Amino acid sequence: MKQKHNYEPKPLFVERMKLLLDEDEDFKNYMNSLKTIPPKSIRCNTLKISPEELKKRLEKKGWKINQPFKKYPEIMILGSQLLPGELGRSLEHQLGYYYIQEIVSMIPIIALNPKPNETILDLCAAPGSKTSQICTLMNNTGTIIANELSIGRIKILANNLERCGVKNAIITKKEGVAFCNRLKKENFLFDKILVDAPCSGEGTLRSAPKTYKMWNIKTVKAVSRLQKNLAEKSFELLKPNGILVYSTCTHSPEENEEIVDYLLKEFKKKIKIEKIDLPKEFVTRTGIAKWEEKKYLNEVKLSKRIYPHDNDTGGFFLAKFRRIE
Amino acid sequence: MNYLKILNEKEKKKIESELDEQFGIKKIPGIILKKGEERLFLFSGNLTINEIHQLEKTIPIERVGIYFAKIQNGELRLSIEGIESLKNQITKNTFEISTEQVEEWMRGSELLIKTGLKGFLAITHKGDFLGCGKASAEKIGNYIPKSRRLKERTSM
Repeated sequence: MKQKHNYEPKPLFVERMKLLLDEDEDFKNYMNSLKTIPPKSIRCNTLKISPEELKKRLEKKGWKINQPFKKYPEIMILGSQLLPGELGRSLEHQLGYYYIQEIVSMIPIIALNPKPNETILDLCAAPGSKTSQICTLMNNTGTIIANELSIGRIKILANNLERCGVKNAIITKKEGVAFCNRLKKENFLFDKILVDAPCSGEGTLRSAPKTYKMWNIKTVKAVSRLQKNLAEKSFELLKPNGILVYSTCTHSPEENEEIVDYLLKEFKKKIKIEKIDLPKEFVTRTGIAKWEEKKYLNEVKLSKRIYPHDNDTGGFFLAKFRRIE
Repeated sequence: MNYLKILNEKEKKKIESELDEQFGIKKIPGIILKKGEERLFLFSGNLTINEIHQLEKTIPIERVGIYFAKIQNGELRLSIEGIESLKNQITKNTFEISTEQVEEWMRGSELLIKTGLKGFLAITHKGDFLGCGKASAEKIGNYIPKSRRLKERTSM
């Protein structure tokens, strides 16, 4: 479906994307993908209903449901055109049987691979799509601490977790770096941590075209500093052998590979970047090793870049680390 | 949370006994916490009571677990998620509504039905648990929270 808006990408943004996608055809495909809206996707909330049962119910409404990944039947794409807002107005949605979530935003949790009885931190948790996805994989056992700074966003987070029947979450309100400092003092450590960092949102242009207007290079640089702090401080909260997934919904290397490179250099022998296993049907690209004047460590290439035109989704970036001690 | 009180075994037993009487619910799995005078939360996580208190001292906690019940005029009323969480134990005081009534109910309207029952009921429809209602002589009072109500142009 075609986008309907009057926003234009800023010249500097286009220039930078051209550097990232240096083959003409690739860049053209990327720019063309931005002119369309990605297909709607949902995640079955397996705390309440099985994917088979949900699929059956939704198909009874005349909705066409595709399950793109054999290993993850809970991930569903709407194959039919719905009325605006229809997906959020159904009885099944209000009962918490599914969560409206972009496929690309489900990928970091597949990488994190939460297990029952683990202690997990979601440092920047609102609006709760990834938190609730983590809880389904933990089957409401263990504990997840879902932290968020903004009280407005906490309300949305709490409502979403409530609707999904999440009972193993504790919602905290603290700025991310201060949160980590305080818990470190108490030696409160986690098996797994998700840092889905605040970012410039370049990967959301298809679903949130306002990002065209808001994008500027100053934000990219400023947010990069915050991301380094969040990633560094949260890594210190990992138990030995614990896993941290760092993700953003943006393409800027300053917010992605630069953070990965920073962590690897900062923690040296205490950290290892891990290979990420994702559904084989899902196309990803390796992290880049060089941007502008900066050269990153070779291991940074183990990070994953996700471009909108590769899977007809939004864009994302993720990297997975293990604490070695 | 402004006031995080974790119920002790005796207090939890009292809640269980009330829910046994209402719905036949024998056991509430997890820790029950009270916020203010009315709202009860259910936490299924593995942090101990001491660990929760320790965490509370370290970081401002906004919520623990799920809002599962409210103490209303001395009576216990399960929330929509309270009913959903404990549905497998519910053996009595359920009321099945028709497909036509589901939309009305989920929009937050009371149902003008003479059920012949009195007090809190678990409202059901073809296996879905649709929260708690209060039956009186002429109607079932509705407690579906605004955030969970169906908006116009519903698809069912």
